[in-house]
Amino acid sequence: MDSFTNETIDLEALPKFESIRLYKPHPNYWKVIRIHLSIFLLILGICCLLLFKSVKELENQALLITSAYIFIAIVLFLILKLSFKKRGYAVRTHDVIYKSGIITETTTIIPLNRIQHIELNEGIFSRIYKLGKLQIFTAGGQTGHMHIAGIPIDEAKSIRDVLLKKIDLLDQHIR
Amino acid sequence: MNTDFSLPQRQSAYGIIIMAANTAVKIGRAILLPLAILFIKLQAVHFLYVMLSIVAIILTCLLFAYLWYIRFTFFLDQHKHEFVINKGIFSRDQITIQLDKIQQVNINQSILQKIIGVYGLKIDTAGADGEEVSIKAIDEVSAYNLKEHLLSRKAAFEPVLKNEHTTHEASFLKISYPTLLKVGLTSHYGQSLAILGAFFYFLIHEGRQVLEVFDVDKGEIKNTMLSLATLFSVTIIVIVLLTALLIINLVRTFYKYFELEISKHNQSLLLSSGLFAKKNTLISPNKVQLVKYSQNYFQTKMNLLNVSLRQAQFGRGKKEHEMQGSSLEIPGCSTIEKNELIKMILGPQSLAGRTYIPDWRFLNLPIFFNVVLPVIVFLIIALNIPQIKPWIGLTIPYILISISMIYISYKKHCIMVNENFIIKKSGIWDISNEIVQPNKIQAISTFQYPWHKSVDVGHLCLHTAAGQIRFKYGNYTQIKNLVNYWLYQVEYENKDWM
Repeated sequence: MDSFTNETIDLEALPKFESIRLYKPHPNYWKVIRIHLSIFLLILGICCLLLFKSVKELENQALLITSAYIFIAIVLFLILKLSFKKRGYAVRTHDVIYKSGIITETTTIIPLNRIQHIELNEGIFSRIYKLGKLQIFTAGGQTGHMHIAGIPIDEAKSIRDVLLKKIDLLDQHIR
Repeated sequence: MNTDFSLPQRQSAYGIIIMAANTAVKIGRAILLPLAILFIKLQAVHFLYVMLSIVAIILTCLLFAYLWYIRFTFFLDQHKHEFVINKGIFSRDQITIQLDKIQQVNINQSILQKIIGVYGLKIDTAGADGEEVSIKAIDEVSAYNLKEHLLSRKAAFEPVLKNEHTTHEASFLKISYPTLLKVGLTSHYGQSLAILGAFFYFLIHEGRQVLEVFDVDKGEIKNTMLSLATLFSVTIIVIVLLTALLIINLVRTFYKYFELEISKHNQSLLLSSGLFAKKNTLISPNKVQLVKYSQNYFQTKMNLLNVSLRQAQFGRGKKEHEMQGSSLEIPGCSTIEKNELIKMILGPQSLAGRTYIPDWRFLNLPIFFNVVLPVIVFLIIALNIPQIKPWIGLTIPYILISISMIYISYKKHCIMVNENFIIKKSGIWDISNEIVQPNKIQAISTFQYPWHKSVDVGHLCLHTAAGQIRFKYGNYTQIKNLVNYWLYQVEYENKDWM
């Protein structure tokens, strides 16, 4: 406390979170999303087919069902593509920033000294492309959590280690 | 009488009775109705068997309670600063709680515990899994000593001897009976309505079962009900319901907040209240995450405020009634008492600050979804169905009322910010103020719709451990500046949030 000063803060001079350059998820993650989408569409298709074969009343509706199926597939593809493009993350010295959302552009910021724990998940398909999902949890409940998918696994691991190291350091300095 | 908790020890032997009674009551509640039906339907010969099985159930309860008592030990680990509990009848469970993770300690007394003269002690932890520990029977002095130990993290573990614990402390807030009466008459209508509804549902549901048992003719009942309904006109029924509502409100308020008293206890606040079951809660002010006070029109006239102190809500697995422990309600404070309480919890700093108000676009979506859309749907239906047509005139009062409500909510919606606090004001009838300190923020989110980019309008959400604070349709540039400022406060000052 010997070097304690209490000057007025120039609000304009504070670092701005909105002007940070965000990293995009790895392009390979788009492939993973497409694999997930195709599996989902395959299952949906099988379900539709089974329904179509088993229910007598639907026999004349083949065209309607097929067009609805194709419509859903296209819409999902576009939504996922758009949402993939909108995502971005950044790690600053004191916080983590994640931006996402198609209609509402949401930017969430978690200060490092508020992180409760960190999880690193690797899905089956993500593993093929050496990608990982970083989950950051706070005490702020479900909505205060952050899921950053599609980070190259080595980078994700180093981010995790850096964050954990910083959290440990910060915990010792808490006033 | 016990002041040293460093050695593993059992609770008071009365715990066996309490535990057995608890289990018996639980079982009893579950089989009460079938049992009653059995009594009526059964011949006298089988009566003995029923009685025997009841005795058997009670004996099993006692046996399990005894085993549970034998296996349940607890002690304070002074070196590791942990509270350790061993339990489990057949399994072996050990629960270890770090003392600085303890949220609050409750000392309660149910009717049975009051008769026997023991207390129940409950520990709320901040563990992510939200597990909770309760000791069922402990004598009064030990209870308060243990509580003192559990909540004093830095204090040395010396035996704290206190014979007359609460009576010594000067209480700085006491809710009197007239105040309780006023509170009962003016607040919590919604909750009482829900209780009334649940009661009627229970009555109808259970009543039907009973009727089926007795083979009563349903048509007969219906006829009596109908003649009753015509006997009393609708106005009388409404009046009766309203009176019932008010009475329920009063009884609930008196039951819950009877002799509510707040006193300062070293570093923490002690709240005690309750008519039959006395409830004592000790909380340390720095664990309060969010302070909220609210007031409606009547209460403004009577100078009454409801204050609630919210603590961190951990563990999604917790049930509703257990979650209530994380929010402490203090009804019927005067403005002076409220200010005193806030000063005690948040510090003496001024609450005045710069006010940020929302843009008029705040009105768009609510008006569309609550006024335009329903009215259009209603009109379409009404124009096609002749029976509804005479009611078309109702749309005009509906539009007027809902638009004025939305307008009020827009006018009241604002945040006030200074260097120590963030205060969010909102509400239509009950106007509430939520106060949060910047160091209690866990995460911040900002939102923006693409079509609001050109007009610079956006939303803000502050995630705290006791819920979210949202500010909608503000000036986005201002919001971003605020966020940068709060981030600076949280990250640079690095104050603990719990």
